[in-house]
Amino acid sequence: MEVADRNNREGMKAWLNPGRYGWERVSYWLQRLTGVGLLAYFVGHIYETSSLTQGPDAWAAMLELTQTPMGHLILLLIIGMSAYHSANGIRLIFTHGGKGLGKPGRPDYPYDAVSLNYRQKSGIWIALILAATAMLYGASVLFGGE
Amino acid sequence: MTMLRESQIMKIHYITGIAALFVVAVHILMRLIIPFSLSLEYENVIANYHNIPYVLLLESILVLIAIHGFNGLRIILLELRQSKAWEDSVTILTIVAMMAVIAYGTRTIIVANGSGF
Repeated sequence: MEVADRNNREGMKAWLNPGRYGWERVSYWLQRLTGVGLLAYFVGHIYETSSLTQGPDAWAAMLELTQTPMGHLILLLIIGMSAYHSANGIRLIFTHGGKGLGKPGRPDYPYDAVSLNYRQKSGIWIALILAATAMLYGASVLFGGE
Repeated sequence: MTMLRESQIMKIHYITGIAALFVVAVHILMRLIIPFSLSLEYENVIANYHNIPYVLLLESILVLIAIHGFNGLRIILLELRQSKAWEDSVTILTIVAMMAVIAYGTRTIIVANGSGF
């Protein structure tokens, strides 16, 4: 592809712009941001647990780094990201399979997109509510002082 | 560079995502069946790695999330830019990273299980 062909591209700005497509765009970039965040945590978690192979002292030293209020806050964020990514991911599987979408019709004013129906919107809200609930439960476990 | 069609890759992405949901749920429940503060004690964690069904669960989590996660990263990078060289590079890099993470995690599982050398 020629370089000149790319002049109209908005790149990351278009990817992150939530204003143009409403809640589906917010859901779109939240799915990607949570995915990248969870992948980073996954790689970090594998590195963290590898300290087990160096004995109890190395494990204790790693826990001193991670089992802190800041570590617990990061874990809470991970819990919320996992819940959102899972619930919204299931919604997307249905959406990609054509389930829950409205039937296409004549584009009469005010041009409501059939894909943005109540099922799709409520799916996004359910994902957000599940994430908040999971974070609340996680906070009660992590900061509950059991 | 296409060994699989994108539609097949997306099916793998969905299947690994849903399967990971179940195995990660079991992994988290294993931490909650004993008091949370005790669940991270060295002896308890090592005991988990000596439990063969749990080791198989950990290995499945490792493989499922590595495939799902690095394929997700590949999808994001391919959405940002399109050219043959970019797509091939991204595909190769994500496959190499996925294999490296699986190999490193598997090494931890084998050594912590006591069957390492």
